[in-house]
Amino acid sequence: MQTRTVTIVNEAGFHIRPAQLVSEKASAYESTILIKPEGTTNEANAKSILNLMTLGLAKGAVVHIEAEGSDEQEAVDAISQLVESGFGEA
Amino acid sequence: MNILELLQPQSILIPLSGNDKVGVISSLIDGLAAAGSVTDKELYKNAVLTRETTGSTGIGFGVAIPHGKSAGVTRPGLAFAKLASPVDWDSLDGEPVKAVFMIAVPESAAGNEHLQILIALSRKLIDSEFRDKLMAVSDSEALTSLLATI
Repeated sequence: MQTRTVTIVNEAGFHIRPAQLVSEKASAYESTILIKPEGTTNEANAKSILNLMTLGLAKGAVVHIEAEGSDEQEAVDAISQLVESGFGEA
Repeated sequence: MNILELLQPQSILIPLSGNDKVGVISSLIDGLAAAGSVTDKELYKNAVLTRETTGSTGIGFGVAIPHGKSAGVTRPGLAFAKLASPVDWDSLDGEPVKAVFMIAVPESAAGNEHLQILIALSRKLIDSEFRDKLMAVSDSEALTSLLATI
């Protein structure tokens, strides 16, 4: 299993478009990918847009990205990079 | 976030006959204006359509959540339309849209009110039983009781 901790950096937080982008990206990998907000017991399947939206992550929220499977390293790298990029938003 | 408080009878359109995405959006904005949430329809519509150009708000499962933060909005509002016939929305899963929730938030809104509304909505929509019931609502009473119970 691979895990990385990242912070939500875009001003508007984790709304529909970021959830869409993450679910699209995550679906390209075979691994099971979970997003776990720090300090909560919540977790979301990164391949499900609705699952991700229910987390309601605001700017500054810290999340653990966890992947398990044949491409877990690539999956964690790709999703972390996407979140840290701020989804191309301010 | 109690989404029922944001949903006025004037902004519940069941059924709505719309030919395309823009037509559906315009009708929902008329509803939000009648409900007193939107005061400058053109300004708000620009925000909503600009948002659509950055990526479709069709989240899949036949549901779309168009939204906009704009100075044309005086207080937060939510509108709902159950479409008489499915409309193409360039959705993530390629499926046409049958139910639409529209979120309006004032430009001056502090923090992340739109996010709170979105969380409340998505926590309901994630339930397949809720979605099935949503697709079957026949009037505004059915919608409000569905939103109240689940």
